[in-house]
Amino acid sequence: MAEHYRERIPGTPRFKRDKEYPPGTEPFFPNFLLKEWIVGAMFLVGFILWVIFNPVGLEKVANPEDTTFIPVPDWYFLFLYQLLKYFPGKYVVFGTVVIPAIATLALLLAPWLDRRKERHPFKRPIATATMVLSVLFMIWLTYVAAEEHKAELAKQGPQATTPGGQQGTASGPVVDPEDEGAKLYAQSCSGCHGPNLEGSFGPSLLGIGNRMNAAQLSDVISKGFPPKMPARGGLQSDEQVKKVAEWLAKQKQK
Amino acid sequence: MFAKMYDWIDERLNITPIWRDIADYEVPAHVNPANKMSAFVYCFGGLTFLIIVTQILSGMFLALYYVPDIVNAYKSVDYITNEVLLGNIVRGMHFWGASLVIIMMFLHMLRVFFTGSYKAPRELNWVVGVLIFLVVMAFGFTGYLLPWDQKAYWATAVGTNIAGSVPIIGPYIRTLLVGGDTLGALTLTRFFAIHVFFLPAFLLVLLAAHFYMIRKQGISGPL
Repeated sequence: MAEHYRERIPGTPRFKRDKEYPPGTEPFFPNFLLKEWIVGAMFLVGFILWVIFNPVGLEKVANPEDTTFIPVPDWYFLFLYQLLKYFPGKYVVFGTVVIPAIATLALLLAPWLDRRKERHPFKRPIATATMVLSVLFMIWLTYVAAEEHKAELAKQGPQATTPGGQQGTASGPVVDPEDEGAKLYAQSCSGCHGPNLEGSFGPSLLGIGNRMNAAQLSDVISKGFPPKMPARGGLQSDEQVKKVAEWLAKQKQK
Repeated sequence: MFAKMYDWIDERLNITPIWRDIADYEVPAHVNPANKMSAFVYCFGGLTFLIIVTQILSGMFLALYYVPDIVNAYKSVDYITNEVLLGNIVRGMHFWGASLVIIMMFLHMLRVFFTGSYKAPRELNWVVGVLIFLVVMAFGFTGYLLPWDQKAYWATAVGTNIAGSVPIIGPYIRTLLVGGDTLGALTLTRFFAIHVFFLPAFLLVLLAAHFYMIRKQGISGPL
């Protein structure tokens, strides 16, 4: 062993691996890790593209008084959330404790529940079937929970607070659509902010007049939000910026 | 020059055996997609780790701007999203990365399960893996509150109430999480502390154990 460690610098003629690697196997570093890194790099590129094209929004600031808000957990907790709905009243303990605890313990103790030497999934049908059914059940619960949440939001109707999820008509009409600013908006801005101000790649501008006046708006448009929004938002001149800003300032909503 | 610097350190600390041991590990043929494309299922664990690393990095950068109090939390997230250069990208990475970690970790767990890799002698590593799973879910739960918007507030209100409905210990768990009776300033600082100090510490220890055991025991053989 000691002999082997004495020669040590990789990539220089001094170093030679003393081990024979059987066909198909290879050293972890650098051979295998390089390939792994190539896969990882492609994975990261896909991830970053997803991030760029799916900007994360922000809802209104938390308001403990507003009890009309329909709460929903993040998608990976939906299956647990849905499970509770099937155990009303005093049986809720089955949904909150009993079933999750049994499932978690079964998962933790899987090596002791399934002790036989067989490893191929078809040779241990009980373990495989249990896992497949559990996964299908979780997917189904998640799906039902998502559908029910969507239905609840629709029932709540026009006050729905999810930004960008509703069409312009849901939160009130566009003010003064015949204005010259509106025409310039349709040419240069509607691609990102939506034909009815409802937002798509860019944020919704419905009710922007409640928050900003024409001067502030024209300042924001002139600067843009590089790199997502160019300076002047693609408009040709400061004159046009002013017209669009004045029109946007009229977009007040209740 | 680097060779000389390396020699200087190595003479004193004998670091070569440490990394040689890792570098010379014989990667078996059946996990290498270069031999057989279907072996890509063995990449899920590594990709989970890669996304965890990006989560740590994006989280570190978010922490430069984020303020964990109820007056400024929302404003700081709004500032990160709309004002900070590339802030929306870093926040987007952290937001979507959370979901991606859970998806990749779930796929990795299914691979280990269906290949029966949790069987003797690898029981302990499976247990550590399940614990990592629970810690990651806790990351998701605590991180969801931090933007302090309506969605965050009400989801956490419901979540902590569910925890409170557990018989006997429920109210204590709820008080521990919420820091009082109502969801407010203390809850936010608690969730922040848990999200950025407690859970990362658990996660790093568990990951170290996970990787140590993989290297010690080797990857499970072909089916």
